[in-house]
Amino acid sequence: MIQDKANTPAAARFHWSDFFETWGGLMALVGLAAFCALFPGTREHFLNPENIRNIIHQNAFIGIIAVGMTFVIISGGIDLSVGSMAALIGGLSILAMNKVIGLTETPVGVYPPIKYLIGANLSEGLGVVCACAVAPPIGIALGLLNGVLITKGRIAPFIVTLGGFAGYRSIILAIADGGEVRSSSFNLFEAMSSPRHGIPLPGYQAGERLVELNITWPIVVFLLIAIAAQIALSHTRFGRYVIAVGSNETAARYSAISVDRVRIIAYALIGLCTGIAALLLASRLNSVGASNTGNLFELDAIAAVVIGGTRLSGGRGRIWGTVCGVLILGMIDNMLLLAEVSAYWQGLVKAGVILLAVLLQRSRAL
Amino acid sequence: MLREPLLTISDLTKDYPAVRAVDHLSLTINRGEVHGIIGENGAGKSTLMKMLSGLERPTTGSITFAGRPLHLRTAADAMRAGIAMIHQELNLIGELSVADNIFLGRERTTAGLVDHGATETAALKLLNQLGSSIPPRTRVKRLSIAEAQLVEVAKALSCEARLLIMDEPTAVLSERETVALFRVMNQLRLQGVTIIYISHILPEVRKLCDRITVLRDGKFVQTVEPREASESDLAKLMVGRDLGDLYPKRGVHRSEKVLEVRNVFVEGFVRGAGLDLHRGEIVGLAGLVGSGRTEFAEAIAGLRRRRSGSVSVKGAPVRLRHPLDAVRCGLAYLSEDRKERGLHLDLSVVENSTLANLRAYGRILLRRRARIKAAQSHAARLGTRLRHVGQRVASLSGGNQQKVALAKWLDTRPEILLLDEPTRGVDIGAKQEIYQLIHALAAEGRAILLISSEMPELLGLCHRILVMRQGRIVGALAGERATEGDIMHLAAGLRESRVA
Repeated sequence: MIQDKANTPAAARFHWSDFFETWGGLMALVGLAAFCALFPGTREHFLNPENIRNIIHQNAFIGIIAVGMTFVIISGGIDLSVGSMAALIGGLSILAMNKVIGLTETPVGVYPPIKYLIGANLSEGLGVVCACAVAPPIGIALGLLNGVLITKGRIAPFIVTLGGFAGYRSIILAIADGGEVRSSSFNLFEAMSSPRHGIPLPGYQAGERLVELNITWPIVVFLLIAIAAQIALSHTRFGRYVIAVGSNETAARYSAISVDRVRIIAYALIGLCTGIAALLLASRLNSVGASNTGNLFELDAIAAVVIGGTRLSGGRGRIWGTVCGVLILGMIDNMLLLAEVSAYWQGLVKAGVILLAVLLQRSRAL
Repeated sequence: MLREPLLTISDLTKDYPAVRAVDHLSLTINRGEVHGIIGENGAGKSTLMKMLSGLERPTTGSITFAGRPLHLRTAADAMRAGIAMIHQELNLIGELSVADNIFLGRERTTAGLVDHGATETAALKLLNQLGSSIPPRTRVKRLSIAEAQLVEVAKALSCEARLLIMDEPTAVLSERETVALFRVMNQLRLQGVTIIYISHILPEVRKLCDRITVLRDGKFVQTVEPREASESDLAKLMVGRDLGDLYPKRGVHRSEKVLEVRNVFVEGFVRGAGLDLHRGEIVGLAGLVGSGRTEFAEAIAGLRRRRSGSVSVKGAPVRLRHPLDAVRCGLAYLSEDRKERGLHLDLSVVENSTLANLRAYGRILLRRRARIKAAQSHAARLGTRLRHVGQRVASLSGGNQQKVALAKWLDTRPEILLLDEPTRGVDIGAKQEIYQLIHALAAEGRAILLISSEMPELLGLCHRILVMRQGRIVGALAGERATEGDIMHLAAGLRESRVA
């Protein structure tokens, strides 16, 4: 192919902003980790494998949602309903689980003999399976609802999901009567996201103590979802369509892409992610607080996506960036905790990091 | 007219790190003349204009304006010096009134408040001066593009601009609007305003300009007077080689009918239009802007809701309700609006070239190699000039962008191509390549509908030319025998002819 002189200049020049746009998220993550590892206040505990495992574990829940959020934002949308949705789905799946446990365990149910046919553990197992079976479909359904209202109803994503934000929270508050939905599983449900379960790592000696670490199930789920999502984004038709729709919706329509369908699927996907995160979140505390579970998750998820280098107006983004963003936010909390800084300052530090990240990654074209 | 120089450019060079965009350029623009500047994309026209309007600073060389050396740092400096640029994309605020737009940033005030009365009176005076009857209170978003352009000119005059730079102003105008704009420009010339006029459309440049300067590869080639140089002379100077015959010889088409469209109605645009396309045939669709050509084609391609109408492909009736239906029938529509509808400027050449046909690159996971290879082979066939296929389309010139847009549709292997203004905003070299491509596609047995406002193009390429007016096909002409006059008569409704 022939060199086109006229087009060479702008693209051939090296720009720091291009560099930051691509690698900023990863650099920030590494930089922050290095800082934590060296800073006197935190270095003692930060590099401890258990601490690092805990950072990832604690942020896996928001991470799963943020992966879904990345698709929605790249497609040119936004979803503010995920926090409330997580509380609602968590609450509903616990209720479903309790129902199954109740039916199979106590003589009050329609089929009392079942209790005698199966033991209590099996009953609890059935309950947990039921919870796992209901959470993702509810998430998909709620996501579809958002997507259909946005595309077919032609209402701005911000408005529709703001409605979800208020509405879903209100439903779970009404169900739980303002309190919490408690699980009647003894320990099986909790085991799903307990730090004591998961894929065991080789133990190591810390002084006198032998530490045995697990890669917890939320971490496993988070990583699997992130990997699948990155592959979907870069190597499937749907992923390329999401980018095309976010970059220029009209041109996408003229390229014979079913724009509405792509956008609806993106919302269904974040619904699915929220459903999975809600399930793990409910199991983490073995209950769902109607007023506080999932509170502000939407903002943390959006922050993680933006820190990861995804353009808020759509058309460009990456999943691994979001993963970096989630970990950066998690590390800030951890760092401040280790340095014994008051938790009240966390918000300010996060605000600074978000602004700095966006400042470094802003595109030359703007 | 007195030949007194207003603007003298001497030995001007602009270097970008990898390329010299303007190369030791010297040029004189006389007071009160309309000076045409032509050149292929990449010839340095836009860089030169950017330097004149304060958006870029020259590397070396000097500019003298009205006897004084000109040092521009910002666009506002240029304004103050009396140089106004009217960009292709107009810089007006849709929600504000015409008057407010004209005096934007220089509001007429009394006691610190905007004096709407005085603003409107002043605006009215300016608009009258231009022979326009736009009410100054109208909001700009209600104006046509031609009217908005006049508002830009009025804005320039309100700053007492002595040099007006117009960048392809007629590319977005209809025939009639172009005539009106030329009248305004002639009037301005009489008032002593100097105009630099950049355009691709050679007949217009020759008709309008007092002198024409040709640029090539950032260098000055020649300044000529219109009567000294024919269009083909100008084209030769621009390209630097002999273009030969611009249009390839017409091929023969077969009788097999591949597309039959009957009685299409689109609310507000198309009122019962129909056409037939045969294998290997190039059919032109002429008509003034607003005659419903684009809407008709979009309705066929499933992009617009039809109230009625039937489409058959190769004898079988098809339902085209979604653009995807059209693609599946082997039908492709190239939009006239390359930047908004035709391409994703932000995305790469590969992404754009394969976007409409991703199904062909894998059921679940897309084969990256295959996509790259496809994009490369399209680029090679179309002669797209690019560094690599991962390059963003926005960084390509107009002609090369258009080739990528074409590649996207060729990738779907269409049998029927509806090409809407395929050479708009494309330089003459690329134009000729696109003509060759259209010819080759027809020779391969594809049927082509060529929608165009450039009559020579229709006359040079098409087997048949359909003329559309007010949503109807009002006439069919044989491409070899028709003249521009025939088309104009039908398009303007001066004569009815037998319907195709």
